[in-house]
Amino acid sequence: MKNSWEKLAKLDRRVIYFLLLLVVVVPIIFPFRLKPKAMPPVEKLFNHIDTIPDDKCLVISVDYTPDTEPELHPMAIALLRHAFAQRKKVGVLCISLLGLGLAQDALATVSEEFNSRAQTNADSIISGRDFVFWGWQTPPLVPILGMGENIAKVFPLDYYGNRTDTLPIMQKIKNYNDVAILVSIAGSAVPFWYITYAQTSFGVKIGAGSTAVQAADFYPYLNSGQVTGMMSGMKGGAEYEQLVEERLGVYGRRRATDAMSSQTAAHIWIMITIIIGNIGYFVMRRRKK
Amino acid sequence: MNVATNPWIWVSAILTLGIFSFLYKENPFYRVCEHLFVGISNGYSITFVWHRVLMPALIDPVAQGQRLWLIPIAIVGALYFTRFIPKVSWLVRIPIAIVMGYGAGASIPRAIDASIVQQVRATIITRSTFESVYNGIWAVVILVGVIATISYFFFSRERKGIFKPLSYTGIIFIMLGFGASFGYTVMARISLLIGRLTFLLRDWLGLIR
Repeated sequence: MKNSWEKLAKLDRRVIYFLLLLVVVVPIIFPFRLKPKAMPPVEKLFNHIDTIPDDKCLVISVDYTPDTEPELHPMAIALLRHAFAQRKKVGVLCISLLGLGLAQDALATVSEEFNSRAQTNADSIISGRDFVFWGWQTPPLVPILGMGENIAKVFPLDYYGNRTDTLPIMQKIKNYNDVAILVSIAGSAVPFWYITYAQTSFGVKIGAGSTAVQAADFYPYLNSGQVTGMMSGMKGGAEYEQLVEERLGVYGRRRATDAMSSQTAAHIWIMITIIIGNIGYFVMRRRKK
Repeated sequence: MNVATNPWIWVSAILTLGIFSFLYKENPFYRVCEHLFVGISNGYSITFVWHRVLMPALIDPVAQGQRLWLIPIAIVGALYFTRFIPKVSWLVRIPIAIVMGYGAGASIPRAIDASIVQQVRATIITRSTFESVYNGIWAVVILVGVIATISYFFFSRERKGIFKPLSYTGIIFIMLGFGASFGYTVMARISLLIGRLTFLLRDWLGLIR
């Protein structure tokens, strides 16, 4: 037994990596069904977006980059499905340059889902009428503060090169007064910037989609009401996907939900290794004494 | 098994495997992938800024004789490049000072309001806090947590009397905070692994739908 604990303590980290790989891969190939239950922060965000009045819009700030795509991209897709299903007007911008391709992918994926089922032009999701992709502007303070005064001035052209002030959707979206909620999806501090600058100066409501690493930092802002609702990590994305499917009957590939079986298996495995590691540590320490 | 025929998916898959090879040990394949990522990210950013920012916002209008007031601003911005000329490198302080002055002026009052005033306000307990028992209990926990944690970081007085139990309580809250952050970090890292493995198994090898 003595040797076993010592051997375990000196186990090559690559063995642990390999075992973790197996624990993650097997449920990807043979998934078990999990039904995520939406937590209050996710439900609050969903309810707020669900009740956006016709004269206001949802703004999604795609502030993540490819390195956090698995966690955050499902959130953007779920938000767009929700908004398009309810025919809410949507504006999309990027604070991070590398987020442009991801925002474009999310818009193309979801609008294609809706357009493939559309019977008429009115049912379709059309750029410039149902959504506007403003693109990217630098430095970050310029769009964050500038949108409080005149969005078309901050983004004279949309991502596709059209003049934004000529787009039908932009006739009703002038500045933050026309924004019901701005959801910043980020693997960085961008939602804080929106809270600090946009909310403090213009009072716009802020929602957050954050990586799990950052989620703990946002809870104080959720508690104070500065963040209206929040999705944290892949689990937050899965919860929002569940709400969209359950309450609106909108179906599509659920990337975050599909990953939850692997996520669960990996968490159990990590808990087991932490417990074994701690027992081994205490056993060896007692022997040394 | 339905292996991808799109060459870009192959490129992406090979680069993913290259980065993963670091888990075994440092190797040239990993180095190539890492440098490629840094180079392409920078190249993409520079090209995009040139075509989508500098050209339409500065070069095109000035070339057409419009917005000429942008010229002195562009010259001040260009002083950043004096960093590479030792004799006049001190000039870089001018744009840095402007950016710092603007940044500090724009952020300090707003940051105080967003991160201190609003947070203190949310910590204060009023009668309305107890309209819901559930919310009331959590408000008390938050209040105790904030006071205890702040007392732990109060170093100008010895931990005696009331400070002793209070700072120990603070440690408990800090540890709970670390535990929550660690748990979330595990979820985040596993999510990224799942994302890449799903790409390899689904998009590249076609093993899953």
